[in-house]
Amino acid sequence: MKSRLLTVALGVLTAIGGFLDAGDLVTNAVVGSRFGLSLAWVVLVGVVGICVFAHMSGKVAAVSGRATFEIIRERLGPTTAGLNLVASLAVTVLTLIAEVGGIALALQLASSVDHRLWVPVAVLAVWLVLWRVKFNLMENVTGLMGLALVGFAVAVFLLGPDWGELGSQLVPNVPVQESAAVYWYFAVALFGAAMTPYEVFFFSSGGVEDSWTVKDLATSRLNVLVGFPLGGLLSISIAACAAIVLLPAGIQVDSMSQLTLPAAEAGGTLLVAVVIVGMVAATFGAALETALSTGYTISQYLGWSWGKFRRPARAPRFHLAMILALVVAVGVLMTNVDPVAVTEYSVVFSAVALPLTYLPILVVANDPEYMGEHVNGRFMNVLGTVYLVILVVAAVSAIPLMIVTEAGG
Amino acid sequence: MIASDLLDVPVHDAAGAHLGWVVDLRFVLDGTPDTHLARARLHGLVVSPRTRTSFMGFERSSVRHPWPIAPLLRWRHRGTFLVHWPDVARVQAPQDGTMPERDAVVVLRSGYTCYEPAL
Repeated sequence: MKSRLLTVALGVLTAIGGFLDAGDLVTNAVVGSRFGLSLAWVVLVGVVGICVFAHMSGKVAAVSGRATFEIIRERLGPTTAGLNLVASLAVTVLTLIAEVGGIALALQLASSVDHRLWVPVAVLAVWLVLWRVKFNLMENVTGLMGLALVGFAVAVFLLGPDWGELGSQLVPNVPVQESAAVYWYFAVALFGAAMTPYEVFFFSSGGVEDSWTVKDLATSRLNVLVGFPLGGLLSISIAACAAIVLLPAGIQVDSMSQLTLPAAEAGGTLLVAVVIVGMVAATFGAALETALSTGYTISQYLGWSWGKFRRPARAPRFHLAMILALVVAVGVLMTNVDPVAVTEYSVVFSAVALPLTYLPILVVANDPEYMGEHVNGRFMNVLGTVYLVILVVAAVSAIPLMIVTEAGG
Repeated sequence: MIASDLLDVPVHDAAGAHLGWVVDLRFVLDGTPDTHLARARLHGLVVSPRTRTSFMGFERSSVRHPWPIAPLLRWRHRGTFLVHWPDVARVQAPQDGTMPERDAVVVLRSGYTCYEPAL
């Protein structure tokens, strides 16, 4: 019993730490510094969405033993699934670039060494972990260390804001100095940050890696339903920090160092150190997950053997795909591109690509041939369909909003 | 022949009338034992009259969820039928080899039988 409780606690804590990545860090800080908490409702919508999506894909993985992209290819046919693969892969590699850039920027904050020098070191570390470290260990260490981001929630309390005023910001409304288009552009970005396609590839393939069975469903559901909302609270606390310190000062976030300013004001060097540890862990964990997701999607589409549960020699093309993705990430980051800007674009394109992976999962979760008695109930289907509509609206509006607002201006 | 030679290819009857497109292939595992399973045998073609897009597996069962996707796909693919492989007279190769998947045609025998696509 004790060990089961420990497993559950570990899973929940890992889910909290694992929820946050470079996209969440940057987008929440940017949004907080410009819109206060008036977009916090989007985080709520995103968290419920990722719970629905992760729960369904986890269930499909556990019951049928099939991962997401195998199902996408089977249901959509090779041509449509191939286009889907190209889009999903492009977004996942973009996210990987953002995460690696995030690790490098966080390390720059800690060391004052230029982030471009940290990029090759970060990628090498990511690759060594992918090559050598066991799946469970990798998950738990990065997830638990990512919990250091609780520092942002602590900072909110130490800053001692006017709670009534902060609470009144929670009402969705467009601030006077911003246009409605910009407001909705950042709403889509924040939604894309909370619901990223790689999380689903990773979650469902991870279920196969961990050899989940129907018995593990309850545990996985608990991890998701408790861990992700708490991760969402951390997201909102990042936005709150920016809303308390940066918004009144008129500072708009365009670098990682501004993210830590509120922590510095609230708790000095010690809190900044804690938060930087959290940022390195969260981006490092997400870099591992996105790199794995590139390998998972290509291998599952083309029918190659995949998975960290196999020795690299048993899944050579899977490992080669991940190495190539990491090489691309280094190459792009070495062009002097701004990793924060890459992150901002990656979350918007995530929103564009989401329906492509969501729809096949929703269909298969209803197929009794695969799911037996575990097919979606009425409640899950209503929720699933509502989210399909939200996802399609966000995906269709993302690019026009990006053009109209010049990517948030 | 590989599956891609048949998927998405138009289907004609013996008189040359257009019947639809091949949207899926149905295999059965009843052949001689191979390494792990019996060898797969092509049982028939799933033909959809109005579209060559995927039916997403809804032709296999009577599943009606999730609304509105299932009803929408059922409507788009109404009239979908299964023809057995022996009812296929020939798979006409493309006239010029330039666009193989565009110009190929599956021609059925006269007196072919349409079966329900559900399992």
